[in-house]
Amino acid sequence: MAPPIRLTVPGTLRYRGIAVRVVAEAARLVSGSIPQDPNDPLAYDVRDPFDTAVVSAFSEIFNNVVIHAYQRRGGGVIELAITPGARELVIELKDHGTPFDLDGVAALPSELDEASLPEGGMGIHIAKTMLDEMTYEPGPPNLWRLLKRLPVASGGTNTGAQARGRS
Amino acid sequence: MPNPFDVVRTDHEITLTVRGSLDINTAANLAEEIDKIIATKMKRIVVDLSQLDLIDSSGVAALVKLYKGVRSTGGGVTMSGARDQPLAIFKLLRMDKVFNL
Repeated sequence: MAPPIRLTVPGTLRYRGIAVRVVAEAARLVSGSIPQDPNDPLAYDVRDPFDTAVVSAFSEIFNNVVIHAYQRRGGGVIELAITPGARELVIELKDHGTPFDLDGVAALPSELDEASLPEGGMGIHIAKTMLDEMTYEPGPPNLWRLLKRLPVASGGTNTGAQARGRS
Repeated sequence: MPNPFDVVRTDHEITLTVRGSLDINTAANLAEEIDKIIATKMKRIVVDLSQLDLIDSSGVAALVKLYKGVRSTGGGVTMSGARDQPLAIFKLLRMDKVFNL
């Protein structure tokens, strides 16, 4: 297996776009997705379901680190280790800020209607639901580990780049 | 960073078109515009999401704020055109049915 792709960015929202683009490209290494429009001004492709899940989940956790660990004040870094495998993508985010109380996150209402529409607290729910595995080890350093696997086609075949004979 | 939205006002309705990425970095500007839209007490608000490529929970929160704010003044919000990643997020949060997406 190739060594992880490592990227260290300041723990502020200013660097969010760089991190998301790197993660999106790593997702495409696994999914084998092709940009729909090479002239698309959006630098990351999020139409493939695998890419969508990875980018959505990562974005929420990056936001969480900036907001909760570094309390929007920066002053620290986020260390990313991104490991694209043949059938899965693992992303680790390490920060040196305030630990996050993951167990204290309230669940979304089981029955959603106009009155119960939430205006916050959705990020962790999005990340957890989009991923196959999400773990958090409070520190410091605090460590998030995100894992997304490619879906297996009905015939048991990997649907990603490996199945298409790509490496 | 350019605003990812346009607002067109007529005598009868306000149309909000959101494009590109509505995320934690861009939602704050939209929230300011949403306050202005709610303050008009216009009865019909149309939100066009067909050009929206990416959304995060901050962007969703902004649209929920718009929906609740307009409804609280007796108006209605029609959202349409959500696709790809934004539609996946609305479905995951089970908001697609509330918003009739």
